[in-house]
Amino acid sequence: MKKWRVLFATFMLTFVAACGNEQAVEFSDSFEAAAESANGSTVNLYMWGGDEGINSYIDDYVAPRLEKSYDVELNRVAMDTAEFIRQLSLDKKADRQVGTIDVVWINGDNFRNAKEAGLLRNGLTERVPNATLLNETAQQSDAGTPTEDLELAWGNVQFILHYDAAKVDNPPKSFEELRRWTEDNPGRFTYPEVTDFTGNAFVRHLLYERYGDELNQNVTIEDSFWDDLKTWSPNLWKEGQTYPKTLEQLDQLYASGDVWMTMGFNERRAEGEVVNGIFPKETRALLLDHSIASTHFLAVPFNAPNPDGALVLIQELLSPEAQLVKQGPEYWGDGTSLDLTKLDANDQNAFEELGDGVTYPNSEQLLERSIPDYGPNVIDTVREEWPRVAK
Amino acid sequence: MLRSSVALTILVSLFPLTALLFLGIEATGTDWGALLTDETWRDSFVTTLYVVSVSTMLSLVFGTWLARTVVKQRWRFTSTILKIPMFVPHIAAAYLFWLLFSGANGFGGIEANERDYVTVILTYIWKEIPFVFLMMLGTYEQLNRGYVETAKTLQLSPYAQFKHAEFPFLIKPLLDSTWILVAFISFAYEVPALLGVTYPKLLGVLAYERLSTGLYLEATAPYAVALIWTCLVGFGVFVSYLMTASLRRRIERGVRR
Repeated sequence: MKKWRVLFATFMLTFVAACGNEQAVEFSDSFEAAAESANGSTVNLYMWGGDEGINSYIDDYVAPRLEKSYDVELNRVAMDTAEFIRQLSLDKKADRQVGTIDVVWINGDNFRNAKEAGLLRNGLTERVPNATLLNETAQQSDAGTPTEDLELAWGNVQFILHYDAAKVDNPPKSFEELRRWTEDNPGRFTYPEVTDFTGNAFVRHLLYERYGDELNQNVTIEDSFWDDLKTWSPNLWKEGQTYPKTLEQLDQLYASGDVWMTMGFNERRAEGEVVNGIFPKETRALLLDHSIASTHFLAVPFNAPNPDGALVLIQELLSPEAQLVKQGPEYWGDGTSLDLTKLDANDQNAFEELGDGVTYPNSEQLLERSIPDYGPNVIDTVREEWPRVAK
Repeated sequence: MLRSSVALTILVSLFPLTALLFLGIEATGTDWGALLTDETWRDSFVTTLYVVSVSTMLSLVFGTWLARTVVKQRWRFTSTILKIPMFVPHIAAAYLFWLLFSGANGFGGIEANERDYVTVILTYIWKEIPFVFLMMLGTYEQLNRGYVETAKTLQLSPYAQFKHAEFPFLIKPLLDSTWILVAFISFAYEVPALLGVTYPKLLGVLAYERLSTGLYLEATAPYAVALIWTCLVGFGVFVSYLMTASLRRRIERGVRR
């Protein structure tokens, strides 16, 4: 009898707990007030966790600093971006005003989706003092979607390829040459599936080669483009029968020497991998006709349980010191989102002294060939239509 | 005591119904016509059906045969060895097989990530044989040898001996194992995600992809597919148990009625 009651009580409790509807926690009025109220709290940062360097930048560099300066504990949760956006939209549906996520790392179509669904808080610029240091162009738009103060730029990168110079004698100089190179070196090149952020970007580079800016006005990709892309297949890794599911898998294939090229956003990303002996020693940058520039951002969800902690964390992540270490080769190599002209002379010098790594591309050429990203509609169209290439 | 077990029974049987209800709600608004003619889902469905049936059949055959042999020959040591894969999680097993079969030419001519899903099937067989083995071991240990002796005395062929003196007792554990395996393999994610291919994907992988990428965030189709598959499996369970009900009852009671 007793057991039955306990069982029933537990069951009902679960229900009651799930239905509780609390008031959303608001931002404090000023940053100082926020820092004070965040003192002693924990802030949950949800972010893609597929890169060791990035993870250790957060865990080994940012977390101790945050603890020291603000007495705020940082809890990094590794999760695919689309997945926590989905979780937030379920929260929204269920009207769950106090959730679990304080800060998210986001950009591109995920930001567009989050913005459309009303999942993010605005008013970040006025609340985070370091936001005044941001590069205004980078801050304005997220792959074609206006940011409207719903997110703050965290980093700025460009898409490039890397190749193993020990195996590739005459690296291609354009996407057309790359296609011909795959014919001469069958099985040594592939790109991730287009559900992956990087794989999708690779296909967008090929689209840019054919359509240029035009596609932004009118998103119609002709069948002939896909037919041409299908002609790459027989010369790709596994004869194009399958593609790496993620960039990590492609990097793994590259590290083990199965393929001779890899790719990704962030022109400095290979440096740490080479230093750590993961990528081949002779890894070099490969800059083709054009390179999509991409900014990634930080945002605070509508139901953040610790919004003040979120402000403190973002302030810290946008500080010149944290941005400098982020751009350095030690952890991540991610380009800064700050406008260097807004920094004082010391900080400017420090950024300039970071210098070049052996796997970095020529920075002038990189800037010259930089192109803005297509909007989310092109990303969606590529996702929808590419599967015919993989069939 | 009795009431608490009744409550527990009701609770447990309510879970699948709640799940069905949930799937039904989430699937509302699906364009069923479009779903059934969608080539990506259809290819995925066919491939899943193939992987599930081959893995399940082979696991059942080998698991049963091993249990039978181990009991007959009293192979204690083999029995212990066979249980080892049970303790390896599916994700670890998938990774193990991936290490073995990926790379330039695979191992023994078999490659991971190819469209016949051979390595996926091999992983499932390796993982599920011990499960079937354990399910059948108890049955074989308790099997009344009298029937086999009788069959031998009647000079039946080995096949007929198995059919009349062993198989009827195996029906229940075999059915149980079959449906557990089918339900598990059909929507599992990690093994086909690691060892599968870009196209066609198995249902679990495709459904997850559709649920977690931007373009499909509002999609109801994955729920609809899960609903269809659940109903199919549920129907299979119901029919197979119904068809064998009288037989199973007879075996349990030990008399013909």
